[in-house]
Amino acid sequence: MIDGLAYAVMGLALVATGWGILTASLNKPPGRAQIGFGAVVELVVIAQTVIAGVRIGMGDRPDELATTIGYLIGIVLLIPVAGLWALSERTRFSGTVLAVAAFSVLAMTLRLQVLWTGGA
Amino acid sequence: MNQARSTGSGPGRVLVMVYGVFALAATARAGVQLATRFSEAPLAYLLSALAGIVYIVATITLALGTRTSRRLAWIAISVELVGVLSVGTLSVLDGTAFPRATVWSDYGIGYGFVPLVLPLIGLFWLWLTRPAVTVSDDPSSTADSPRDRAR
Repeated sequence: MIDGLAYAVMGLALVATGWGILTASLNKPPGRAQIGFGAVVELVVIAQTVIAGVRIGMGDRPDELATTIGYLIGIVLLIPVAGLWALSERTRFSGTVLAVAAFSVLAMTLRLQVLWTGGA
Repeated sequence: MNQARSTGSGPGRVLVMVYGVFALAATARAGVQLATRFSEAPLAYLLSALAGIVYIVATITLALGTRTSRRLAWIAISVELVGVLSVGTLSVLDGTAFPRATVWSDYGIGYGFVPLVLPLIGLFWLWLTRPAVTVSDDPSSTADSPRDRAR
């Protein structure tokens, strides 16, 4: 994959995770800036999936192709689903839900990175 | 659902989210395994699929939080606990029979041991949000309550 983009996703996801934990520990529901930041993370995640998809289409073959494709699709769904679930009941736990999703994005990107470089 | 102690409300929303992530992870993993290399380790991959189904059922039933879905959640999460303990133990004792291939292998070491802790939290949460013995506004519930309590 593109290392720089993957690291960007991981960095942004880490910040989103911390932000979610922070608002939860302050007993506040997520604010506008936080939700906007989540949207930014999602956009970068989508970019990552699109670029990876194009590279697969152009002939790049990661070690486990089916698993990689599964991850690339799954990772795009996480933040929107978590966002809907978190915001339909806005409490301190909304932030925790967002943190769980962001951390999952982080973990999945790490795994994608391993899958992608492992087959080289 | 206007229940004060619904399983999908408050901290339960976080639990549902974590279950949802594992439903996605386990189901996708099992799907890939069954589709591409079922013959390599049929038992492990079928258990992988079982794990996926259990996580899906737990996610939906906890999110709904109705009386019936609570029962299904008890069953699903109990199966989950038995699954992670038995697959975990077997995979430690006999690594060749269970290649590191399911979310439950080595007690979920590949997922930060979350699969081991999750059913304990899930069962605790179901117990914590259990319905009261007498629910005045719902006459149909009185017959079911003692059984719910006994579990």
